[in-house]
Amino acid sequence: MTEARVTAPPRLGQEEGRQLITEVKARAGKGGDVVIDLGNTQEMDSLGGACLVDTALIVKRRNGAFRIENARGPVAEFIEMIEPALHPPPPRPKPEDSTFVEIGGKALRYVGEVGEFLALCFDAFYWTIIAPFEGRGFRWGIFVDEVLEMGVRAVRIVFLMNFLLGLIIAMLSAAQARGFGITIYVADLVMIGFARELAAIMTAVVVSARTGAAIAAEIATMKVQEEIDAMRGMGLSTSQFLVAPKVLALSVSLPCLMTIGLVAGILGGCVWGVFVLGFPPSVWLDETLGAAHLSDLMQGYLKTLFFAIAIALIGCHNGFRVTGGSRGVGLMTTRAVVMDIFVMICIDIVFAAIFYYVLGR
Amino acid sequence: MSETILRVENLVTHYGETKVLDGVSFDVEKGEIFVIIGGSGCGKSTLLKHMCGLLRPTSGSIYYGDRDITVMDEEELVTIQRAIGIALQSSGLFNSMTIGDNVAMPLREYGNVDPALIDAVVRMKLSLVGMATAQHLMPSELSGGMRKRAGLARAIALDPPVVYFDEPSAGLDPIMAAGLDDLILDLRRMLGTTFIIVTHELDSIRKIADRMLMLDRGKTVFLGTVDDVETQGSDRVRQFFDRRADEYITQRNI
Ligand SMILES: Nc1ncnc2c1ncn2[C@@H]1O[C@H](COP(=O)(O)OP(=O)(O)OP(=O)(O)O)[C@@H](O)[C@H]1O
Ligand SMILES: [Mg+2]
Repeated sequence: MTEARVTAPPRLGQEEGRQLITEVKARAGKGGDVVIDLGNTQEMDSLGGACLVDTALIVKRRNGAFRIENARGPVAEFIEMIEPALHPPPPRPKPEDSTFVEIGGKALRYVGEVGEFLALCFDAFYWTIIAPFEGRGFRWGIFVDEVLEMGVRAVRIVFLMNFLLGLIIAMLSAAQARGFGITIYVADLVMIGFARELAAIMTAVVVSARTGAAIAAEIATMKVQEEIDAMRGMGLSTSQFLVAPKVLALSVSLPCLMTIGLVAGILGGCVWGVFVLGFPPSVWLDETLGAAHLSDLMQGYLKTLFFAIAIALIGCHNGFRVTGGSRGVGLMTTRAVVMDIFVMICIDIVFAAIFYYVLGR
Repeated sequence: MSETILRVENLVTHYGETKVLDGVSFDVEKGEIFVIIGGSGCGKSTLLKHMCGLLRPTSGSIYYGDRDITVMDEEELVTIQRAIGIALQSSGLFNSMTIGDNVAMPLREYGNVDPALIDAVVRMKLSLVGMATAQHLMPSELSGGMRKRAGLARAIALDPPVVYFDEPSAGLDPIMAAGLDDLILDLRRMLGTTFIIVTHELDSIRKIADRMLMLDRGKTVFLGTVDDVETQGSDRVRQFFDRRADEYITQRNI
């Protein structure tokens, strides 16, 4: 084995270090031991040190031995400080090897997630409905705060969105209906559409973007900052303090908001009917009320209740599942909203099918 | 070693209505290890944040070299901030990157460092704080003390001439804390780095501090060397060094 001896310059910085690396590569390119002589060196900085680290790595990759000699004074202390870095770095963690393992792992994770979600549902059910009757307190204070935040604060935006949607529906369908001379039936259309579908969906979309995201972000942040652990460590139930009040608050707020949305949507249609289509208000309202059926309203409200429970539980579920720090919070919030919308459509389809095929409406 | 690198004059700051710092003045010399002490909640972290321009004071000035950073615009401030390495009280690591990438961030973004060397620098800095094996871990996979150390490694990544540490040894074991003291002394000797450190560790203060500043309810109660404490320190600072409790801790009401 050959041994190459390289003497470092008096001042070892980035430039000098790079020359040092080039020299080592030239002298010991095909392997062999390298000794760096720091006898002349009085000064070095971190970048010079990094060059030594790099040199050590190059030499050791080629199975040579690497040594530093004659370091004196502060330089010697500095070398001592960076000594651990002169050893080869830890390997980068490798991703999963085979696709089977990967698919299996994914499947297991999904099953695990569904299990967690069901456990959360059960907990929420227990703490919302059963526990209060067993005398284990329901947190009314938190509940009232949540209703204020989720319900009352959302009134304006829900009203506005539904009003505009009503206006648009009336506008578009009136243009079609005019050809047949049946523009007055636009009132029926708006009423039925909002009662069965639109008010429920529109309100739930607004609320999932507002409240669903907020729930997920709040719980995820609490988890990241160990607030959840602290709460559990005190022997308090997170379901009792966080989940149950939110579920109940949203189950109460969302139907109320949907009612407001319904009124707003009909009002929007009415504005178009009265001011643009030129019907007297009483005629339009009579037509609207004549179209109202209890079963349509039932469908809307029943759906809304399910939406409310879904939004609250999905928000909590994703919040609790967060891993990593601030980035995880963002990811989980996004996931919660996407899941909300998806689940909402699923619920909607199920309801439409039940009402259409089973109940015949 | 008598060139003044940082001078704070009559700093007064408020958070909303509450006055947090009330006329603090001191200066720091180049290559000095300057320690800021004081009771919890007395405004030490706030002072550090002002000194690197993260917060603007109500009145008073902070000279860095001969320029006042309290009246600088953003652009000038950025050039100053790049010369300062900061490790805040809660490590401030970026959660979305590995520890190695965290340390590499300042090197990649504004160091004129050869990209091929960055990995070596990162490993070196991490091994300085005893974290060589954690390079590929995410911050959320670390313990509190490890996060703290990674934050220190990132602060010194670029060999900044001035380094601010906010309670660097909080959460570290005594061996690690002693190692950190050595590291600070070594870096000062090798690179002439100026350190401004907030700490509560009495042993560490005795070992590394050139001078120290003690704050109490936003006012300076002591400024001088550790030896001065015995001869000219007020009751308050001697109480701090003797670890005597207040009659009732609630009396302080902070
Ligand atoms: N963002 C903020 N808004 C309002 N008040 C604040 C804020 N940050 C700190 N404070 C107040 O300013 C005072 C000083 O806080 P600071 O964080 O500077 O204390 P500290 O000396 O660093 O304490 P510790 O040793 O516990 O870290 C405290 O009383 C605190 O309540
Ligand atoms: Mg602090």
